[in-house]
Amino acid sequence: MKLIKPVSTLLTLIPSIAYIPISIEIIKGFHIGGLNIIFQFISSAIKPSFNQELVKSAWEGLQITIATALTSWVISMLIGIILGVLSTDLFWKSIPKFSYLGEFIKYSLAIPRSIHEVVWGLLFIQFLGLNIWVAIISIVIPYSALTARVISEQLDSFEIQPLIAIKQTGSNIMSSFITILLPKLIPIVSTYGSYRFECAIRGVTLLGIFGLGGIGTELYLTLKSFEFNEMWTCLWMLWFVIILLEKFIRFFRSYLSENISLKNSFSILILIFILSLSLGISWLYNLNFELFTPLSFSYLNFPSFVEIRNEFNTLPLFKLIITTILITFFASGIAIGTPPLLLVLFPGKFLLKVQNLIWIFFRLIPPPLTIILILLFTNPNISVAALSLGITHMGVMGRLLTDNILNQEKSIYRAIKSNGSSKQSATLYGILAPQSNSYLAYGAYRSDVILKETAIIGAVGGVGLGWQLQESLSSFNWAQVMIITATFSLLTILGEFLFNTSQNYWLSNSTNNFIS
Amino acid sequence: MLQKTSKLKLTKIAIALFSIFNLSTIGSLKAEEILRIGAIPDQNPEHLNRLYKVLSSELSKQLNVQVRYKPVTNYAAAVTAFRTENLDLVWFGALTGVQAKLQRKGSKVIAQRDIDEKFHSVFIANKKSSIQKINNINDLKTLKNKRFTFGSESSTSGRLMPQYFLNEAGLQLKDFKGGSPGFSGSHDATLMLVQSGSYEAGALSEEVWKRNLERGRVDPSKVFVIWKTPSYHNYHWLAQGNLDKKFKKGFTKDLTNVFLRFNEKSKKQKQILELFSAKKFIISKNENYKQIEKVARNIGKIK
Repeated sequence: MKLIKPVSTLLTLIPSIAYIPISIEIIKGFHIGGLNIIFQFISSAIKPSFNQELVKSAWEGLQITIATALTSWVISMLIGIILGVLSTDLFWKSIPKFSYLGEFIKYSLAIPRSIHEVVWGLLFIQFLGLNIWVAIISIVIPYSALTARVISEQLDSFEIQPLIAIKQTGSNIMSSFITILLPKLIPIVSTYGSYRFECAIRGVTLLGIFGLGGIGTELYLTLKSFEFNEMWTCLWMLWFVIILLEKFIRFFRSYLSENISLKNSFSILILIFILSLSLGISWLYNLNFELFTPLSFSYLNFPSFVEIRNEFNTLPLFKLIITTILITFFASGIAIGTPPLLLVLFPGKFLLKVQNLIWIFFRLIPPPLTIILILLFTNPNISVAALSLGITHMGVMGRLLTDNILNQEKSIYRAIKSNGSSKQSATLYGILAPQSNSYLAYGAYRSDVILKETAIIGAVGGVGLGWQLQESLSSFNWAQVMIITATFSLLTILGEFLFNTSQNYWLSNSTNNFIS
Repeated sequence: MLQKTSKLKLTKIAIALFSIFNLSTIGSLKAEEILRIGAIPDQNPEHLNRLYKVLSSELSKQLNVQVRYKPVTNYAAAVTAFRTENLDLVWFGALTGVQAKLQRKGSKVIAQRDIDEKFHSVFIANKKSSIQKINNINDLKTLKNKRFTFGSESSTSGRLMPQYFLNEAGLQLKDFKGGSPGFSGSHDATLMLVQSGSYEAGALSEEVWKRNLERGRVDPSKVFVIWKTPSYHNYHWLAQGNLDKKFKKGFTKDLTNVFLRFNEKSKKQKQILELFSAKKFIISKNENYKQIEKVARNIGKIK
C-alpha cells in the first residue's frame, strides 16, 4: 500500500470552488418568475404522458438511437483497434524502417479527435444530406481516433522485453507480435469497449438533438414546445433502457471473463463484433432506413482565400475563445468537484447506491435541455452554460467514482472508523483518498471532453464558439464555418495536450487506473 | 474440459447463426418512386406524428403515389436535405425557404396557408421590466440595454423580421444587455423565458403567441405584447423543380391543386387544416419572397 498523500484527496474537492463564482452569478440573476414552470417540470416526472402515439414514436426513436450507436460503436472499435496498434511504438519496433509512419498516424489522429461528434455531424449533413450514415460517420471518426489513442497508450506502457526475446529466437515478426500483443489487447478492448458503447449512446442522443433523429430528436421537440409530460416519457424510457443495457453488459462481461479462456476470447471478441454489426445494420434497415442506397455527395462552393480573410477580420474570435475557455473551466470544476463533495457529505453504502443511480440520470440529460430549465430561474450569463454542461459530466464523473468505490476494499475505511472518527472523515480518508489520484487523472480527461462539448452548449446559450458555429452554418457562410471549426480544433488540440500532461501526472501517482 | 469446449463451440455457432439470421431479414431493395415530404417542426412530436400521418395518406390517395414523411428538426438540415434532393416537398419558413430556393435552382413555391400571406411577429415584454407598450416602430429603441431574446437563429418570425424591424429603429444586436441577444431555440421557449423574467423582452411568431393564449399558457399578469410588426409572407410549401419529370407531366400542378382543394367537408382534410391551424391553403409564388431575401441579405443570413 502506497502512502496516501492528503493533498490529492483535498484536490478532488477543490474544483468545487467553481460553485462560488457560479452561485454568485446565478443568485444575482435569480428570480421566481419561472418557478411554476420548474414546478411543472418536476411534477411531470411522476405523471409522464402515456399517449399511444407518443410512446410509439419515443420507442421507435429509442431503437434508432441504440441501433445507430451499436453500428457506429462496432465500426469505430474495429478501426480504432487497427489504428491503435498501428500507432504504437511497439508495432513499428518490428519494422523499424517505417517507424515514421507510426508517428505520423499517431499525431494526425489528433485532428479527427479534436472535433466533437455533433460538429462532425453538422458538417457532414451539408455534404451527404439527411442520411443515417451521417450519424454513423460522425460518431465513427472521433471515436476511432479516441480508441486508437487509448489502445496505443496502453499497449506502449507494457514491457517489450518478451517481444525482443521472441524476435531473437528468429521467429516471424508478425506472429511474434500477435503472440505478445493479443493477450494484452483483449482486456483493454473489453473494458474500454463497453465504456465506449455508453458514450456512443450519449453521442447519438446528442446528434438527435441537432436533428439527426432518434430519441434525441423526440426529447428536443418535447422540450421546445414545453410538453414536460411528454418529455418525461422519453427521459424515463431512455433511463430505463440504459440501466437494463448496462446490467446486461456487466453480466455478459463477467460471464465471459469467468467462463472463457484468453485463447478463445479472441474469437469470441470477433464474433461479438460481427454479431453487433449485423444486428445494428439489420435493425436500422428494419426501422426503414435506406442503408444501401449509395450516398450522394453534394458539392459546396468553397470560399475563396479573400472571403476567408474578410470573415476572419469580422468574427470576434478572441471574445469567442475566451468565453469558450471560461465555460470549460467552470463546467470542469462542477463536474469534477461535486461527486467527491457529495460523497463526503452523504457517506454510507445505501446513500452511495442512491448517488450512483442519480449520476446515471444526470449523465443522460443532454446539456441543451438543462440549459433552458436553468434559464427559467436565472438571468442569462456564462454560468448557465457552464452549469448545464457541468451537470451532465458531473453525472459521468460521479458514476465512475461511486462504481469504483462500490468495488473497492473497505479495510482502510473500517480501520479509520474503528479509531473513533466520524463517518464523514472516515469516508474522506478511507474511501476517497485511495481513489483520488486516478479520479483526478480521469477528471483531466473529462475536462478535455468538456472543452470539445462546449461546441454544442454555445449553440443553445447564445455564447461561445459553439453558438457562432450554429449561426454561421444556418447562414450557409462556409468561410466562417471553416474558421470556427479550425479554431475549435486548434483549441482542443492544445487543451488535449494540457489535460494529457496533468492526467499523466496524476496517473503516475495513482494506485488504480480508472479508464482501463 | 471437453464439456466446456463443446459449450463454447455451441456459443460460437449460435452467435454465427444469429448474425446470419440478422442479415437475412434484410429484404430486397424497393426502387419505386416515392414523394418525400418534410417539415421543420415547431411542435411536439405527438402532434407532428398525427399531422404527417394524415397528410401523407391524403396526398398518397389523391396523387396515387407513395408518400413518405421525413422528420427534420434542424433548420439548416432541412435546407441541406432539400439541396441534396433528400426531400421533394418541404414546409419551410420564409427564410429557410428562400435559402433552399437559392441553393436549388428551379424549385418552386406552390402554396401557403391563408395566414401566411399576412404573417406578424409580436414583441413581448415582462411586466416587471420598465418596458411600455409602443405605437411607433422607432420606439423599439426602448429595448436598448434590456435582456432580449430571439427564438431559433433561422426563424423568420422569431429572428429575421424582428431583427429587421429593430435595425429599422436604429437598434443593433450589440445594443442589448450583455452585448448580444439570446437565442432561445423556439417560439415557446421565448415566451416562457420572457414570462419568467429571465429575459425582459423577446420576439416570437404571432401564431404561436395566440396558440399559447388559447391554451392558457400565457400569464397576463407577467407578460404582454408591446408591439405587433407589419405583415410579411411566411411559411410555404416549396417543391423541387423536377417533380414533373420524376413522376409525370403536370404533377406539380396536381400537387398544388390538392392543397388548394383541401376543405372542411372531408373529415380527413378538416383534420389536416386543423393541425396546420389554417382555414385553407392558398396559391403562392417565388416572387412573394423577394422582400425576405433582401432582408436576409442585409442581416447576413444569405450571402
